[in-house]
Amino acid sequence: MTETETRFDEAFLKRLELLAVVARRLFRGRQRAERKTRKVGSGLEFADHREYSPGDDIRYLDWTVWVRLRHALIRLFEEDEDLPIRIVVDVSDSMLTRGRTKLRYAQQVAAALAYVGLANLDRVGMTCMSGRLHTTLPAVRGKGRIFRVFEFLRTANVGGPTDIRQGCSRVAAQSAQPGLTVVLSDFYDLQGAFEGLNLLRFRRHEPIAIQVLDPVESDPSRSGLRGDVRLVDCEGGQGRDVTLSPATLRAYHEAHERFCQKLEQSCRSRGIAYVRANTDVEFDELVLRLFRMGGILR
Amino acid sequence: MTFAGWTLPELLPLLAIGGAAITGLYLLRMRRREVEVPFAALWEQVSRESESRRLWRRLRRVLSWLLQVAILGLLCLALGDPQPSASLRPTQTLAIVLDRSASMAAVADPQTQTTRLDAAIAVARSELARMGAIDRALVIAAGEEVDVLTPLTADAALAIEAVERTEATYGEADLRRAIALARHALGDREGARILVLSDGALSPTAQSALQTCRGGPLPCELRKVGGPTDNAAITAFAARRPPHQLDRVEVLAEVRNFGDTPTTVELEIEADGVSVGRRRLELGPGQARREILSDLDAARAQLVARIEPVAEAGPGTGIALDDTAYAVIAPLRPLEVTLVTDGTNLFLEAALLAQGEHLRLAAVSIDDARREPQRAELQDADLVIFDPGAQPLPTDIPATHRVFFDPWRHPAGPCPIPKRADVSRPYLTEQLREHPILENVVLKDVNIARGTTLSSAPGDTALVRSLGEPIVVLREGQHIDIAFGFDPRQSDLALRTAFPLLVDNVLRFVEQRTPGFVASAPLGQSQELSLADLGLDPTGVTRVEVVPPSAPATDPAPGTPVERGRIRLRALVPGVYRIVATDGPNAGASVEVAVNQADPYASDLHARVEGDEARPEAPVVETEARAPWFRGPLWTVVAILVAVVLALEWATYHRRITV
Repeated sequence: MTETETRFDEAFLKRLELLAVVARRLFRGRQRAERKTRKVGSGLEFADHREYSPGDDIRYLDWTVWVRLRHALIRLFEEDEDLPIRIVVDVSDSMLTRGRTKLRYAQQVAAALAYVGLANLDRVGMTCMSGRLHTTLPAVRGKGRIFRVFEFLRTANVGGPTDIRQGCSRVAAQSAQPGLTVVLSDFYDLQGAFEGLNLLRFRRHEPIAIQVLDPVESDPSRSGLRGDVRLVDCEGGQGRDVTLSPATLRAYHEAHERFCQKLEQSCRSRGIAYVRANTDVEFDELVLRLFRMGGILR
Repeated sequence: MTFAGWTLPELLPLLAIGGAAITGLYLLRMRRREVEVPFAALWEQVSRESESRRLWRRLRRVLSWLLQVAILGLLCLALGDPQPSASLRPTQTLAIVLDRSASMAAVADPQTQTTRLDAAIAVARSELARMGAIDRALVIAAGEEVDVLTPLTADAALAIEAVERTEATYGEADLRRAIALARHALGDREGARILVLSDGALSPTAQSALQTCRGGPLPCELRKVGGPTDNAAITAFAARRPPHQLDRVEVLAEVRNFGDTPTTVELEIEADGVSVGRRRLELGPGQARREILSDLDAARAQLVARIEPVAEAGPGTGIALDDTAYAVIAPLRPLEVTLVTDGTNLFLEAALLAQGEHLRLAAVSIDDARREPQRAELQDADLVIFDPGAQPLPTDIPATHRVFFDPWRHPAGPCPIPKRADVSRPYLTEQLREHPILENVVLKDVNIARGTTLSSAPGDTALVRSLGEPIVVLREGQHIDIAFGFDPRQSDLALRTAFPLLVDNVLRFVEQRTPGFVASAPLGQSQELSLADLGLDPTGVTRVEVVPPSAPATDPAPGTPVERGRIRLRALVPGVYRIVATDGPNAGASVEVAVNQADPYASDLHARVEGDEARPEAPVVETEARAPWFRGPLWTVVAILVAVVLALEWATYHRRITV
């Protein structure tokens, strides 16, 4: 994460402070903050009336209604609370290929999103995800906690098989309070990619899928790979003898594209925000421009 | 179909081993390169879709194997050199030695104006066209230089092409080297034979070489081409400036009629393209005429002599290569005269010293000449004058031109002209007035105290007689000896004007006998030339540059080493060569030397050896412009090249170097 920290210079952080994570739903927070919630409390904006019950603070009694209608009603106000944001980073072996390019990219994006949330007084938690068990950063609040985020990302254990469903299930189980859950992964899981996101949605989270892709991996013809090779999965398993012809490489590229499009369509059909993040796009451009265009930040 | 190269028993093991090696390599399980991928499931899905193409991949592998085996088979076939059985016969290896000497430029057929060389080329072409696929031929051109026109080859078209480019050159054919080269090249090859194509007009050396070749282990055949033998040639040409007329030029030209019929030619001398002398010469069969053209007006040092036929008389001049000759006028060398005297004849010394710069006089005393007869002044002199006075002559006299004054005053002496009798107060009664030595000299009334008459031998010339007895005798042999039977000191001749004239006439007579003509260098031979004789001071010169007549001014010629003031020059083209000193104090100084063919054997068109006459009616089989590709080694080379390329492809692709 040293690289991540160095890329978070003063100017970039200032620009991040102007952003805020967009949640399409209202989530119940724990502490007062700047986000509207369904909770009616001590906010400033009027929300509703309810019958007076003994013991209610008479300062909230609507005297106007009492004078006119002799009906004791208590004024209710909307309460501003913080937004629970959980950032899930896929640290499986598939994110570690080609010199950990995708993992580094995902960590940089995660750190940026965390800073945006912390700058808006949201509670930001972070979780590493793979088929193995990984540590979790409990939700923290305040800009000063960004260094804990950095520390967590730097010291987190990485590796393990890709299992999106299990990872999302573990995140849902660990989160006592539903909130915005950003999943950063390559989603190289034919069966469980969408199921994991759907599971989060089912647990009343608002998942955001950010698919981190390496262009060379999605289009292997760029690597110059040719001839008879044995393809070995980076997460283990038996190799497969393949003759890499231009047709085969083209077929893989097309299949990869179909897989990504299918994931995107599935996400959109369930109202899950989806952003494809290619590692050849500068991550600050992704954060400052593409996330805003995708409605993840404003 | 028969294998002309490797036999079938030799080829089969090669084919078997090669095939087994190729098959073994194909059966080897190739270790595939492992590539780590992040999404193997998708790869599996994709590769499963292409399973249908696996059959083609296997088929392609088999096809590749078949291709390699086919290439091996073709290579073996190439080594076998299959030929139709009908064309097989014992292999012949033919070495054609083509004479391209100057005589081969003579006309062989006056009607068609084809030359002897053309006839020889036709014979060579016919021989080469009869070559079979397994035959080999070597063509050597023999002139002054020996060139290999084509090395041993089966490509008849290539050899014919080279033969047809051959042209006659100056000089004689060096058959000795050419035949030796042919014999070495043929070696022990099967069906080897040497065919010499020549007109038979050969030098004794070439005849000897041909004779040796015929008696050698290899079959050696001379096929003669003939034709008219009329030819006139300039066989000698030289020029000089007379010592007494330095503004004039005197040339010596020898023209010879080598033909069998009389001819008349016009000899013309040119300087800078301007005719300075002309003479018509009528020559009988085999006659040589040596002409001296004196008193020519030429300022330049280069002269060219040409002979041209007189149209209405005779058969012409034959080949043109020997109708031109070149000469360079060398700087005049002073006459070296040594006077052996007792030092009392001042009249003689004065007459000699009055000769000027073209005479270099040295004086040696009688005692020194007797004591050191080998001293350089005596041995290197052009003329030694013995004037001993009262002393006896030295016993050893040098072998050069000599003049003796009163050689028989003493009874014994070395004078080659013997004494007849002593005479007291002899009278000079008769003299040969027309002789050059006595030109403008009158010896009448000369008073002489004493003398000796001389005994003349046949061939001697009694220049002056005393009452019928010779008293001054001239003997001309290898050297000139002039004996005066009296001492000028004991006469009043020394006081007369006739005496210096007499001395001058003697010197001029000797000068004309001294080889003042600079002979031109002969063509072809390696000739040693003295730079000093050519007029270039060799002091400090270690290398010279020899510029041939046809070389451009900027053409750098390799330096020729100078040893003891001499160089070796081997010229192949007649003309005027320029010799430039490249180092030493005279660097940049240059002299010129003429090179002429001047070889009677090269100009004589008569055949001097026996041999089969070439049959002009021999059918000449026209060959294709180029040999078919399968007849030469080309297809073998191509097959090897294909094999190399395929092997490279195989190694790089399957060993994943290029993937």
